[in-house]
Amino acid sequence: MSANGQRRFFSSATRRSAEAALGRAWDSFHELIKDWRAKAGLTMLLIIIGIGIIGPFVAPYSPFNTSFTAWQPPSSAHPFGTDYIGEDVLSWFLVGTATSLYVGFIIAVSAAALGTLVGVVAGYFGSIVDDALMRFVDVLLIIPGFPLLVILSAYFPPTVTSTIIILSILSWPFLSRVIRSQTLTLKQRPYIMASKLSGLGSMRIIWRDIIPNLLPLIFINVIFLVVGAVVAQAGLAFFGLGDLKSVNWGTMLYWFEAQDGIVYDAWWWLLPPGFGILVLAVGANFLSNAVSAMTNKTRR
Amino acid sequence: MVVTIFIALTLNFLLPRLIPGNIALTILFDKYGSHLKPQDLKLIESQLDLHGSLLQQYQIYLVQVAHLNFGYSFYNYPESVSSIIAQSLPWTIFLLGSATVISVLIGVFYGSYIGWKSGTRQESFLSTFAITLSSLPYFWLALLLQLFLAVVITVDGVHLFPVALAYSTSVTPGANLPFILSVLHHLALPLMTLVITTYPGYALLMRNTIVNVLGEDYMLMAMAKGLRVERIRKRYVTRNAILPVSTSVALSIGYIVGGAFIVEEIFSYPGIGYQLYQAVTNFDFPLIQGIFLIITLSVIFANFAVDLIYAFLDPRVTLK
Repeated sequence: MSANGQRRFFSSATRRSAEAALGRAWDSFHELIKDWRAKAGLTMLLIIIGIGIIGPFVAPYSPFNTSFTAWQPPSSAHPFGTDYIGEDVLSWFLVGTATSLYVGFIIAVSAAALGTLVGVVAGYFGSIVDDALMRFVDVLLIIPGFPLLVILSAYFPPTVTSTIIILSILSWPFLSRVIRSQTLTLKQRPYIMASKLSGLGSMRIIWRDIIPNLLPLIFINVIFLVVGAVVAQAGLAFFGLGDLKSVNWGTMLYWFEAQDGIVYDAWWWLLPPGFGILVLAVGANFLSNAVSAMTNKTRR
Repeated sequence: MVVTIFIALTLNFLLPRLIPGNIALTILFDKYGSHLKPQDLKLIESQLDLHGSLLQQYQIYLVQVAHLNFGYSFYNYPESVSSIIAQSLPWTIFLLGSATVISVLIGVFYGSYIGWKSGTRQESFLSTFAITLSSLPYFWLALLLQLFLAVVITVDGVHLFPVALAYSTSVTPGANLPFILSVLHHLALPLMTLVITTYPGYALLMRNTIVNVLGEDYMLMAMAKGLRVERIRKRYVTRNAILPVSTSVALSIGYIVGGAFIVEEIFSYPGIGYQLYQAVTNFDFPLIQGIFLIITLSVIFANFAVDLIYAFLDPRVTLK
């Protein structure tokens, strides 16, 4: 048997378990998509993601091209008008969608990894480990997030990297609670017992039996983490924190406010980033509503 | 609760000391260094108190906090941090308190209404409406309200609502009618922003719990006994459904604080969030830390208070 074949042989059991879990997830996805709210929610998310992916390539100008007249209302040359130094708002929106989503996605994935790790370890090992970790999580959940975010950002240099690190550190606690309670129920399943009796180590059980079964739950939470991160980023920008030169929805709103867009009645500058966040959040909430309706139905 | 307070205190102490190269000091000297007198510098040094071992510094810090002494604000020197907090905290409590009470009331009524209508087309429409409202980013809503209700729309050349501040400069603060009216007039837009974005969450939760309560066995029993619908609604359904809502109020306080801060910043409402914004833009580190500590402690106490109220609402819960 070649080394490759050997590896395939040993990992086939893992893959079978993972495939079964994914198969189940696929079935419930089909069930889910029958709900009109799930359909509408997914469509909204896909529209925003689509804008984020193709936006930077189709943006008519560079967002930093200041050669146009400032404070122009929408026209055929500038469908979303121009801002206070004559930058094209449409280009800002298209590029900004990509940045907001990209940063939000990195934050969501790292927070999900951290939350899953803490949740699974606490749920699987129980006793003192569980107590200590969940105590810590409770404290993090009770400390008001936004002031903590502000104080951390005030001490870190104002770069996108700092924002990503700070938001990742602050976003995971809630997910870890969800993952922990799910792990507690998974732990009681017969196949986990079987794995334990066959002498598998804890790490392998977690990796090949528990994590694959948590994937759908993690996936849906990543969506909410992305929305949360996008909103938090914008909130930070409002306090003049984070990298204000970065082009994203938050900095669009920040510059609107800082440059007195209100006084110029510049509604064309205010609407696009807000609608972006709104559509993203409504999409995620519709989806979550459909998911909880489905889980309630199966429970009954 | 004691553990949480202790961790918050320690975090507040360690944060500025963990950052390498003490950014606080660097920025401070860049910004104020040129026009600071030597005695001021000495004072700041003793205030940041970077002498002695970490343990000694921690001891001094705890004693100062116990005396509500958070040092002096850099930007508003020689005003002390605690006096700035004392001036601005009442405005935030006023805004947050009224927003929470109104959102809970609207949320409970809205939620009970759609909960009872569960399964109808009207319910589906109203729930969808609530979900959409709850997804509104509050800072965007604040800017929209400010733009349209305080700038664009005018009636006879007069704006409907003021753009900023907590009361008009033409009234004298005190217990007089013009002042109170002015305060309420200025409160309207910030309050609207917070209420519109928070009540749908309570409404949706209320609807879900009402649907669950309606499925309980004791509801069947109550119906079978032939109790009047009105009595069932008040004594059986609402009373039970309100419990999870009160828990969620406690959990969301920390979140609403963040929303209130940004709303205060947008409307230049002189609460603690606006002060925090000022402090951040001026790199006023003692003020930032003082505000963080006070807000964290307030939220912890608010949670504790809700726990006490919960025991009162639900007789099955006993206080240990």
